[in-house]
Amino acid sequence: MEDTPKVGTGRQAPECRQGSTGLGQAVAKALAFLRISDGNGGSLTPYRETALEILESNLEHLADTDLAAAAGRLKPAAFHRLSIDRLAGEGSSWEPGLEVEVFSLVREAARRAVGLDPFASQLIAGLAMAHGHIAELPTGEGKTLAAVLPASLHALSGRRVHVLTFNDYLARRDAAWMGPAYRMLGLTVGCVQEGMATEEKRSAYACDVTYLTAKEAGFDLLRDGVCLDPADQVLRPFHVALVDEADSILIDEARIPLILAGTTADGFTGLARLAELARLLRPGIEFDVDEDERNIFLTEPGVARAESELGCGNLFSGPATALLAPLRHALHAEHLLRRDVDYIVRNGRVELVDELTGRVADKRHWPDGLQAAVETKEGVRPGCGGSILGSITLQHLLRLYPILCGMTATAVSAADELKSVYGLEVVVVPPNRPSVRIDDDDLIFADRRTRDQAVVAEIERAHATGRPVVVGTGSVEESEQLAATLEHLGIACSVLNARNDEQEAGIIAEAGDLGQVTISTNMAGRGTDIRLGGHDGRNHRRVAELGGLYVIGTRRHESLRIDIQLRGRAGRQGDPGSSRFFLSLEDDLVRRAGIDRLASADRETPPSDEPLDSPAVRRAVLHAQRVAEGACFDARTRVYRYAEVLERQRRQIQERRQELLEKRSTPHLIEARRRERWSELLSAHGEHLLRAVERRLTLTAIDRCWARHLDEMRLLREEIHLVALDGRTPIVEFTRTAIAAFEVLVELVNTEVLELFDGLEITADGVDWEAQRLRGPSATWTYMVNDTAFAPNPLRQLATHTGFGALAALLWSPLLFAWGAYLHWRRRRGRTELGKGPTDRG
Amino acid sequence: MIESFRNIFAIPDLRKRVIFTFLLLAVYRLGAFIPTPGVDPQAIAEFTKAAAGTVLGFLNLFSGGALGRMTVFALGIMPYISASIILQLLTVVWPYLEKLSKEGELGRRKITQYTRYGTVVLSVIQSLGISFFLERTTAPGGAPLVPHPGWGFRLMTVLTLTTGTAFVMWLGEQITERGVGNGISLIIFAGIVVGLPSAILNTITDIKTGSMSIFTVVILIVFMVIVVAAIVYMERAQRRIPIQYAKRVVGRRVYGGQSTYLPLRLNTGGVIPVIFAASIMSFPQTLGQMIQHPWLKRITQALAWGEPMYNLVYFLSIIFFCYFYTSIIFNPEDTAENMQKFGGFIPGIRPGKRTAEFIDKILTRITLVGAIYLALVAILPEILIAGFKVATIPVIGPSLDAVLPRWFTEGLGVKFYFGGTSLLIVVGVAMDTVQQIESQLVMRHYDGFMRRGRTRGRK
Repeated sequence: MEDTPKVGTGRQAPECRQGSTGLGQAVAKALAFLRISDGNGGSLTPYRETALEILESNLEHLADTDLAAAAGRLKPAAFHRLSIDRLAGEGSSWEPGLEVEVFSLVREAARRAVGLDPFASQLIAGLAMAHGHIAELPTGEGKTLAAVLPASLHALSGRRVHVLTFNDYLARRDAAWMGPAYRMLGLTVGCVQEGMATEEKRSAYACDVTYLTAKEAGFDLLRDGVCLDPADQVLRPFHVALVDEADSILIDEARIPLILAGTTADGFTGLARLAELARLLRPGIEFDVDEDERNIFLTEPGVARAESELGCGNLFSGPATALLAPLRHALHAEHLLRRDVDYIVRNGRVELVDELTGRVADKRHWPDGLQAAVETKEGVRPGCGGSILGSITLQHLLRLYPILCGMTATAVSAADELKSVYGLEVVVVPPNRPSVRIDDDDLIFADRRTRDQAVVAEIERAHATGRPVVVGTGSVEESEQLAATLEHLGIACSVLNARNDEQEAGIIAEAGDLGQVTISTNMAGRGTDIRLGGHDGRNHRRVAELGGLYVIGTRRHESLRIDIQLRGRAGRQGDPGSSRFFLSLEDDLVRRAGIDRLASADRETPPSDEPLDSPAVRRAVLHAQRVAEGACFDARTRVYRYAEVLERQRRQIQERRQELLEKRSTPHLIEARRRERWSELLSAHGEHLLRAVERRLTLTAIDRCWARHLDEMRLLREEIHLVALDGRTPIVEFTRTAIAAFEVLVELVNTEVLELFDGLEITADGVDWEAQRLRGPSATWTYMVNDTAFAPNPLRQLATHTGFGALAALLWSPLLFAWGAYLHWRRRRGRTELGKGPTDRG
Repeated sequence: MIESFRNIFAIPDLRKRVIFTFLLLAVYRLGAFIPTPGVDPQAIAEFTKAAAGTVLGFLNLFSGGALGRMTVFALGIMPYISASIILQLLTVVWPYLEKLSKEGELGRRKITQYTRYGTVVLSVIQSLGISFFLERTTAPGGAPLVPHPGWGFRLMTVLTLTTGTAFVMWLGEQITERGVGNGISLIIFAGIVVGLPSAILNTITDIKTGSMSIFTVVILIVFMVIVVAAIVYMERAQRRIPIQYAKRVVGRRVYGGQSTYLPLRLNTGGVIPVIFAASIMSFPQTLGQMIQHPWLKRITQALAWGEPMYNLVYFLSIIFFCYFYTSIIFNPEDTAENMQKFGGFIPGIRPGKRTAEFIDKILTRITLVGAIYLALVAILPEILIAGFKVATIPVIGPSLDAVLPRWFTEGLGVKFYFGGTSLLIVVGVAMDTVQQIESQLVMRHYDGFMRRGRTRGRK
């Protein structure tokens, strides 16, 4: 090649723009788009201009090899060779013009290798991500391709990029789909899947660009943290994370921390007896459930009955207290967890259903004995319990990446939280083709029965025209009931839920075809691309003429964003489509927000099958959703804040562990504290072996003590709310205790090392380590933190905040006195009215 | 605590926060000396002096003297406190706010916003009220407080006081956000303690002029130290009922020396019962001023400040309000129910009604101790100032009066800056502030603590 290909020369003269045919038309269209849509204020302008430059560049004349060569040449020369540490502080900064060159190259590579030419909207999204923002790109705009642009930009500058996808399937698909484009630029691409062999994982992580789920990255981090040999570790230092479906991963999933658990033999027998007892107890009389349906407990008659059935005497003193926890779990499993809603039973195993994705949450377990209780309830052989070996929240995991950016269709409503937790800005990118989907108003029914009738009628009506329908239901159970009803009416439908997730790709491929009815759970949400007219688009025009895909939702979700995602299955890429939600006042969401009062008020009017058409009801449902969103936000914030101190401690422990593991530091503890035996062994086996033994013992001791520490902290987290009675803040007291416990931990590690050493048999061959091992398969646990067991009581705050309280009392003593008297009266009245016991209090 | 302070200056970020806090408090102090236009400073000073000891006197104490001097911060933080009290009340009774408060962060932010608006509205109303009050009032010397009344003065007062309040509120929020501790509490605290240096100076002058003997001062100081120590001790005192959780394995080793317990404070109600009692005590006097009736006059005379009857009723009403307020804010049944929900129980005692009864029994006992302590602290300094006027006790009064020493019956006759109630408030606010700052140290800078812990652990 004689003349050096020059790339992205900047803005060309306007006459040249139409130069090449084929490309010219596309460019003209894109330019028109850039000029017309301007909904985002001025913030997009710089991106627009850069995108223009990229669109105007023309690299068609380059040979494939030249493309890679051009990319390769860029690598060392033009890029800021900033160390990652420095970058974290400075954000991503590039030399001007560099984005244009790289994006033009990537665009050309994508055109040739994948057959896709990025739209202007995708370029803008790519630029926004390259600048470390969250790009909001409407549903169906081709985020996968948009991600390639910033990923290549980072990768070409020598940073390892992790593209964090929504699930394993998407990681696999996207890596395979976009791989050729990367490879054409001389970049390596890998994909990490759950359950991969260590060797495979390591090579995938060594690639320039790795596709994987955030959870897998987190688990690998935790697993690396308990390795006893550096050769078993798979991860490289984190550089860049590009998060697909960013709001889901950064926000929704973030309330569930990742927990690595090791198996321990949990020797509690007699679960079956407790499960039997739990089945017998009567709700409201012998046990009670709190408002959030998260806690279940025995009432006094229930305690009496349990004591007589179990024949154990007072449950609350002596050895019988050991029965309390399993009994509670048995009750929880029996009455709060519903089969085919919260979990399914498949292949002799209990599998959790993720409430956000509707998929089976692989390897996720309920904590403590709850899993065993559920397994007993279902007559499945209980697996083993587990002890926590390591834990990290997704928020903390993602903050380990010096550079973080992402994309999603629904970010704006979460912009505040993204900004405050991750420091990320949201950039709204207008769609390439404006959406023509019609989102009809919700229809709200008084009860579930009338709602279901209306849904079925609506499906029948739409189906009669041949229009494809996708129904998003609330649970596996509901989806199957609806499918059965439709089958009864002679309407064939396919069901997509956690139970048959292996058929997902096939069902989705045809869901947009003529006359298709697909009943789904949340699974048909993010990332599912339903093409009109079948997988090859054969009936596209006919379906479009009928009005496109019709999405029906049978409930509002915990977050408006999830609703939007479901609607977004219709009307992709400017296709026609419509969506509508059918709700009832008996939905969990509405009921939990305490709006059933409203429902009962409406029931006084004669029941009718017509939807309720009052603005008050509509407002109430919206409010219910906001309450749910608020509760989720609070839960996430709490999880995050409680994990904060433990995360810092984890990093310290890891640092020390890693030093030991890589032999950068040598402990001298045993030598100093067990002088005699040490010198004895030293003369017998030599120093090398002994040092290795001590290193190994220290690692084991650290892991054990850390696991114990985590376990202790988990219990503390559930009990700490009591300090609120004292006017103290639970989180502060938790942090304080965690710090104190961590200080003790260092000493405990030393004690443990010495204890292990004392009980160790050392021969010339070394040590039989299997007996010492403390490792097991990984599992995730979910936990929620609730430190507000005592509802905030303004009058209590007056007592504990002296200055505020005294001034308030001085100014308003008659009012406060009256208020107190009112509370007093109400409590007394409540007591006499209810008679039985303390249950309701406003 | 000394260690905590050393830590503050060891961490640059924290040092910056502390300096920021002090700067803003200095600004607040400065504003407390800028007078509002149109008020005669001499006359208002005389008026304030006369009002010492009344509710107005207390409010003046809280405003750091800004109210008594009618400066731009005269209303200070008070409308903000009123607004937040009213909003909290409304949250209980008004469904819209109740709903809003359940909507998480966004809802709370909206309520905060409403509190700010409410503050402005309240300060407009209050400052208008104050301007009318000032116009109609004359100083004890007869000079009108406002030489040139009229709408010009009123509007000017509304404008300056409302702006002042909004500014103080902003200062408070800035301190909370970028400084240390809770800004509102700190501003109240600053307002109270700034009176201390001048009180000390006054005492020194009194000694110099001979109007107070060194002996009295020493007794006073010793007494003060004892009372402060007693307050600190009693406010921290609590009965800890051990709680066991179902999930915790019996006999498991507990790290960090903390086991789970139910903390029951000796003095659950804080300073509120005293203030309730004081405001009840001022009620007959206020009534007596409005309605002239011989019977009422007898009552008000018997209940005049410093009379034995006054002391007795005051004492008893403090004890009553201790129980009253404790019963409002600490509900044994709620507590027992919550423990039950989360699987906690007191070893050996069944959850539910039995547990509630158990907690109630203990609470009743320790509240009695707390209530007597509170009543004594509130009354003893008053007696020290004014003496125990036994002469008015029927039958035995006069003879007692003759027997008992004069310092007992007439008091030490000192201008005692910190009466019992103000002492309770000052010490309470100081303790709160220290606790808040310490909490912030824990939450924001545990890194520093942990590193220290590590080095200690290593050797």
